[in-house]
Amino acid sequence: MIWKLSVTGIKNRLKDYLVLFSGLIVASMIFYMFLSIATNPVFISKDVYGRTAYLTYIFTFGIILLVIITSVYLVYANSFLLSMRKHDYGMYMMLGAKSTRIGLLIFSETLLTGFLAVLLGILLGLGLTTIVTKVLIGKLGLEITHFKAILPSAIIGTLLFFVIIFLLGALSNVHKLTHTPVIDLLHEDQTPINLNHHPLLRGIEAICGVLLLAVGYYVMTLSTRYIYFLIPTALVTIIAGSFFVFNGVFTAIINYLLNKKSFSYRGINEFTLGQLKFRLQSYTKILTMISILFALALGAITVGLNFGSMKDETQKSFYYDATIVSQTPAVKKAEAKLTITNKQTYHYKEKGMHLYFNRAEFKKQPLKEIEIYFHNNQDNLPTYKVKTLVTAELDKPETAANSIFSQMVPNGIPKKIKLVSQQRWNTLNGQKKFVSYINVKDFVHDFPVIKQIQKEQLKENRNYQDIYLSSKSYNYSNMIGFTSAFEFMGFFLGIAFLTMLASTLMFKVLSGAASDKVRYQMLHEIGARPQLLRSSIRKEIGTLFTMPAILGIVDVLCGLQLFKTLLISPYHNIWIPFTIFIVLYLGYYLLTVTLYEKIVLTNK
Amino acid sequence: MTEILRVDQVTKTYGKHGEKQYQALKGINFAVNSGEFVAIMGASGSGKTTLLNILSTLDKPTTGNVFINHEDNSTLNANQLADFRSKQIGFIFQDFNLLENLTNRENIALPLSLRGISPRKIDPLVDKIATRLGIKEILPKYPAEVSGGQKQRVAAARALVHEPAILLADEPTGALDSKSARELLYTMADLNQNDGITTLMVTHDPFAASFASRILFIKDGKIGEQMLKNGQSRQEFYHLLIDHLDTDE
Repeated sequence: MIWKLSVTGIKNRLKDYLVLFSGLIVASMIFYMFLSIATNPVFISKDVYGRTAYLTYIFTFGIILLVIITSVYLVYANSFLLSMRKHDYGMYMMLGAKSTRIGLLIFSETLLTGFLAVLLGILLGLGLTTIVTKVLIGKLGLEITHFKAILPSAIIGTLLFFVIIFLLGALSNVHKLTHTPVIDLLHEDQTPINLNHHPLLRGIEAICGVLLLAVGYYVMTLSTRYIYFLIPTALVTIIAGSFFVFNGVFTAIINYLLNKKSFSYRGINEFTLGQLKFRLQSYTKILTMISILFALALGAITVGLNFGSMKDETQKSFYYDATIVSQTPAVKKAEAKLTITNKQTYHYKEKGMHLYFNRAEFKKQPLKEIEIYFHNNQDNLPTYKVKTLVTAELDKPETAANSIFSQMVPNGIPKKIKLVSQQRWNTLNGQKKFVSYINVKDFVHDFPVIKQIQKEQLKENRNYQDIYLSSKSYNYSNMIGFTSAFEFMGFFLGIAFLTMLASTLMFKVLSGAASDKVRYQMLHEIGARPQLLRSSIRKEIGTLFTMPAILGIVDVLCGLQLFKTLLISPYHNIWIPFTIFIVLYLGYYLLTVTLYEKIVLTNK
Repeated sequence: MTEILRVDQVTKTYGKHGEKQYQALKGINFAVNSGEFVAIMGASGSGKTTLLNILSTLDKPTTGNVFINHEDNSTLNANQLADFRSKQIGFIFQDFNLLENLTNRENIALPLSLRGISPRKIDPLVDKIATRLGIKEILPKYPAEVSGGQKQRVAAARALVHEPAILLADEPTGALDSKSARELLYTMADLNQNDGITTLMVTHDPFAASFASRILFIKDGKIGEQMLKNGQSRQEFYHLLIDHLDTDE
């Protein structure tokens, strides 16, 4: 009978269950995706360049963060599940159901919900990992080739993690319900909220919060030499600071507005403020966590995309896009595919330890290179200026022009470069060769063809190796290898965190909706227009979403100071990740408002 | 005397066409004049709550009309209905319906800010009604910090602060102990007699009903008969009512 009741109970709240269920599926899906990326052994070793220790650190850090956020998310999802069923369980117990039996019911319901969700989540995760990696690889021009979407260790890891968390959740639900008096289960809506207002304490908290945040932000601007001291200090001070700011500063602002009658006595502003004031008491912890996670997620995307911008910098620091030293049919065929905008060809004769060039050719078409100017101000990217190499210096040892040019010609380093007159050149014996420097219209577009030309030339001429290693295409493809993984990680982690933190906030808001419904019903009865109620909901949930977002954004802006030494310009194009992030966050806000309105604004 | 409320051939049927239908109200007719204190008495399932929901515009009649201050509320849309409630009707509910996240003062101020009254004028009006109901000291407190009787006074203050055309009370003493219930009823009677507040109270409690000047009995969705106080004392009226209920059974 009890089982039948339980199924009926779930059926009646199918809509709410679907919200919960889809949230859980998304969580397990993301968890699987991340795990499959972070633990993909081939992917890490072959595609991710850079120091392994550093990478392991980043991935471990990522997994720890994901475990924390997923756990917190599940705690809130679980409390949402409980809040939906409390009244029903209370009723069964009032009708005489034994608490052990109810306990078993709750236990199985929680575990079953979790298990089904994680199974579906992993299945979807498999598909999505494949799609997401393909899309990301395609869109960002990343070079990741050894990625496997199906990873048994990730499947087992995800299953284990979720089952353990749900087991704990189920046990905690059983404990909570069997230790709550039946009367409280039935009348939870009317249970008065514990009041706690000490203006002095709030004031001290507000001041401490601002001071701690200031300390946290300040230490991040210090030299990154002390990074192992800076990160923990910043984390502790910012977390504590955010907590006090939410508890102190925001409460103070709300109190100020409540006391400012010209504001609070307009429409139902006082109700909205009252709601917020009461929410803040139970939301401080979650808002703190969300602001920190918001910062980490946004930071991950920003830093990830910034790594991507390093590719552009590599491009800019070379003047010529390609060097051609061969005339094989394969090279010629490939060259024909390029959209060449400039081609400078120089002929030379190789004789003994010398490479003889015709000076006239350089006079006619001088060689150019890029000079890089770095700025003290880290907000600006370095400036790149085109400089003409002085022809007279090209064969003078120890000059910059000579050193640069010798790296641009096969055998230029072991042998000496000589520039001679047209007449002399004509009379010289020796193997006649040439070197062409090319500029194309769109380097990124022509990059695959250029790479192909390089390969052909390397096959034909072993001496070409030296030029290849200092060429634009070699450096560019190296940079792609180095940044792709970071970009991918940053993007993926950022989106994953955002999804979970926003869902956590959503569930926190929704789990209070059942008890809020009574208040909206009261307002409706005393004559508040539906429009007014909707606007109050939008403002209230909007504030709850905005507060951690503001702190999170400030955290990121200050936190990027830490990346000064790692990235060329951490603040460059910062609006891109911010926009992506805010649009997604806004989507969650609107979803929360819609779901909340559906729950609280349906009349009796 | 001016007519404040007129209920004209109101019926309410639940259930869709073609399905099993249930008629909760079967043609209700009555009127309440300005300054009257009317009680509607009936057992559970008699249609009391349905009638009150219709009078308070929270529900619509299937047929018939309700006029409050000569305004027919069946023609109004959702926003107009909300405005209508905030202007014309004051509510007292059995379970107080106070917003526990607002102080008592803020609770009482709510109908005024809903009506767009200038914020400057709100506090003096709240103070005035709170003094009248003897709850000035508890204004800064939250509902959870005061007794049930005080909560119901706060609810009464909230219902009356915007000077509605009519005060609708739904079992106002239902959740109170007998002392608080008695005090509240005396206050309501006092407000009716001295301040001329038109009151319509729905109750099943004869003691509460004896404070009214007229009692309408509702049974099976119809208003059966009515009893008038006609200058009798409250105690006399109460005994008469008890006798009436006894014979009715």
